[in-house]
Amino acid sequence: MECDNRSSPNILQETVLLISIMPAFGSFALLLALALSGYNLFAGAIALRQLATGARGRVSPERLAETARRAGIGSFFAVTCAAFALVWAAFTNDFSVSYILHHSNRALPGPYKFAALWSGQEGSLLLWAWLLATYGLVLRLRHKVDVKLTAYASTILAGIQIFFLLLLNFAAPPFALVAGTVPQDGFGLNPLLQYPEMVIHPPMLYLGYVGFSVPFAFALGALMMRYPGEKWIHITRRWTMVTWLFLTCGIFLGAHWAYSVLGWGGYWGWDPVENASLMPWLTGTAFLHSVMMQEKRGMMKSWNVWLIFSTFALSILGTLLTRSGLVSSVHAFAESAIGTWFWTFLVIVLAVCLFTYILQRDHLKSEHKLESLVSRESSFLFNNLVLLAACFTVLWGTLFPVISEYVQGNKVTVGPPFYNRVAIPIGLFLLFLTGIGPILAWRSTSFKSIRKNFILPAVSAVVTAIVLMACGVRPWQDWSEGQGSLYSLMAWSLGALVVTAVGSEFLRGAGVISRHTGQNLFASMIQLMRRNTRRYGGYIVHFGVVVIFIGLAGSAFNQSTEQELNFKQSMKMGPYRLVCQDYSQDSNLNYDTEYAILDVYRGDKKITQLSPERRFYQASQTTSTIVANHSTLAWDLYVIYAGKDPDNGQPIIKVFLNPLVAWVWIGVLIVILGTFVALTPNMTAAFAASRTRVPVSEAPAMAMGKGGD
Amino acid sequence: MTMIACGLLLIGIFVYVFYPERNVEAQVQKTRLDFLRERKEMLYDNLRDLNFEYRAGKYPEEDYAAQRAAMENEAAEVLAEMDLLERGVGAV
Amino acid sequence: MRRLFRSSGLRLLQLGLVGLLAIFTMGSADNAVRYNDLGHKMMCVCGCGQILIECNHLGCQYSEAELTELRMALHQGKSDTEILELFQAKYGPTVLAAPMLTKFNLAAWFVPPVVLLIGIAATIALVRKWRLRTVAMPVVPTTTTFQTARDRIRRETEL
Repeated sequence: MECDNRSSPNILQETVLLISIMPAFGSFALLLALALSGYNLFAGAIALRQLATGARGRVSPERLAETARRAGIGSFFAVTCAAFALVWAAFTNDFSVSYILHHSNRALPGPYKFAALWSGQEGSLLLWAWLLATYGLVLRLRHKVDVKLTAYASTILAGIQIFFLLLLNFAAPPFALVAGTVPQDGFGLNPLLQYPEMVIHPPMLYLGYVGFSVPFAFALGALMMRYPGEKWIHITRRWTMVTWLFLTCGIFLGAHWAYSVLGWGGYWGWDPVENASLMPWLTGTAFLHSVMMQEKRGMMKSWNVWLIFSTFALSILGTLLTRSGLVSSVHAFAESAIGTWFWTFLVIVLAVCLFTYILQRDHLKSEHKLESLVSRESSFLFNNLVLLAACFTVLWGTLFPVISEYVQGNKVTVGPPFYNRVAIPIGLFLLFLTGIGPILAWRSTSFKSIRKNFILPAVSAVVTAIVLMACGVRPWQDWSEGQGSLYSLMAWSLGALVVTAVGSEFLRGAGVISRHTGQNLFASMIQLMRRNTRRYGGYIVHFGVVVIFIGLAGSAFNQSTEQELNFKQSMKMGPYRLVCQDYSQDSNLNYDTEYAILDVYRGDKKITQLSPERRFYQASQTTSTIVANHSTLAWDLYVIYAGKDPDNGQPIIKVFLNPLVAWVWIGVLIVILGTFVALTPNMTAAFAASRTRVPVSEAPAMAMGKGGD
Repeated sequence: MTMIACGLLLIGIFVYVFYPERNVEAQVQKTRLDFLRERKEMLYDNLRDLNFEYRAGKYPEEDYAAQRAAMENEAAEVLAEMDLLERGVGAV
Repeated sequence: MRRLFRSSGLRLLQLGLVGLLAIFTMGSADNAVRYNDLGHKMMCVCGCGQILIECNHLGCQYSEAELTELRMALHQGKSDTEILELFQAKYGPTVLAAPMLTKFNLAAWFVPPVVLLIGIAATIALVRKWRLRTVAMPVVPTTTTFQTARDRIRRETEL
């Protein structure tokens, strides 16, 4: 550029100019992205139609399809420019942009300015669109995996992208300007969102929501083109797993955020928005399981297609619930008319799915020979049934207030008591299946063989139950306090069952390898995992789920107490004694804070010092709690500075003793580990054979085996 | 300024999308042979799995024999058809 | 064998039914914990969307008032249902954290278990149907071409 030798005021002017062009640039980029996606959809559809019917236009259909693919890639760059423009506006405090004015302020720390991108309606829609474009980019760049199938998927993705870009361009423009004079400072970011996890939780969750578009697009595309065979499942397998992992991380980051920020002592409140994220997770999990039936056995094709359709629809519904003001929730966005757009989109999506399904349903007939099958296959059926029943329960509970208003004219609240009664039994059944599934064999004709393998897990469950009862978990005594302790007892016993079942499955498999190769058990176990990463990774995930359930079951034994605590006074909670050392105040540009300094003693020994805080944010004129938490494997000592008693000015401290919470987070880490194992490619059997000490007589056969593979 | 930035973006993307490409990826329809290969691979995987699970003690003897025979029959059919097709291709 | 499966399936179903009944009909009644219990059955009405007793806004006018009322009602010796109805009459039905078992609200409670039971029945029926398709041991051709193919397959699918 020619601005090198200008004097500094001019540079300043230039910067101001640059600042002010960004909103316009962003708007333009969004419009361009819409045009590109539109081109991708129409050119792609025409090209694929021509390829299917054999008709030819002036341009060869291959060429046309290639330009469509590139337009898709181009739309990624355009959306990226728009996202960049919004982030730029946040970082340069461009309060002429209404969105930035409402979600940021000058004193806001850098990372949270970045998080402003997804803290409001418009920005988070832009994030949706950008993530979708990114997934689309990866998919389109990897199109050589299967050119035709990718072309179909890419076209369908473009259709979804068009919807979000229409929203961004016409219903919720993120670059709308402030009318009249531009204020000097913004109204700030909601303090609840000013927490490190909030910087990663929404993108994770969105990555999960958005990610289901990809398996959805592949499934719909495969159905449209009557894709022969089940290879497309193999292609989308990793996509689905990665998406599932993101959604899992997103949900639990949200839970952890709620636990550490909302300060009510729990991590899951059955809020509609939490429910909204749980529903696609449940159907997605069902899909991950039942799709194996299709891949291995060519069965349940229609079922799987509808599972992934509904998973996608539920992730749209989740986004809709958060935004339309349909259900009241702690963290819904402000009410807006955007709901109509989403409903329309949802109806269109379902109509397209239904139409395609009816048109092509003869393609989904099972091609496998008639065989008897009971064991593993039926366990998958039950798994699907229970997951869907759980999903239905959550959906029913979430939408019941709306139904009730329609039927009996008044809203009702469907809160935790409902889910505790209805959803927990279903969850326990699911936990049971988590252990049963792995010990069943594929295509076995009877339950005879499993009875043998079932004895040990059953025994361990019973033993655990007896030990727990001996240790004082006695549901019949705590009956009056609800069924919590019964459920916990069941969860822990079932946990023992699952761990034994999964563990023995590992050992049995490793035993076979060990006998075959002469390696020790540990090496065999590693090899076992590498031979079939998906199965054994999946078992690790099951193990992680058990650990999560152990942690969840602890919540039946939560205790809490609240007390006015003055200087040098102390309070007791469980085995701990909290002594107040000091109360203090502090302030910085972003917020003022009041906090307590508490020494924690166990017996006479000082263990740690906790300082729960209460912050007051100037820009948004709101307060928020910062929880102090001393977490151990046995329990969390969770302390809140509730503020000062309005009558006498005495500080109030609220203390929770929440058993086993750490296990939930540990379980999530195990789930993540298991998913990573499942994502690594299998070591091929031939390769495995070549690495083992093969007896001489078998060597030629092995060599041939390699050739055959 | 705004115009320049927007114009650059527009032109850049336009050129990228419509730049004439010589080697366009062909949109091949999957042949019967490809399909059979996938099918064989799947049957082989299932057979390996069956052998493995049998050795791990998850099948009664008669179940194992029946399942293995059924899958071997199916795989043999696939192999025969593949042979036929491959020979046909070779002859042409 | 089939009879065995059928009977075990039936028994499983019965067991499940009994278990579900037990789970859904559990009541809770004890005086000492009624405050805590009822506090968990209602919501704070300030719009925070929290369970009444868990509302953590300091000086939240609504939850304080509600809790005081609850204490008073308990003191007067009202029954759980009476208290819940009292609150419902005063604050509207949304004050209850979960709908009571009245008229249409019954649907909230009974639809999910009913759907689950129907699903279980359908799945068992489906599994039965699959099982009935039992195919006898397949006939193994004895031609030499098949023998060679089978040997090849066995070699290639060694462990």
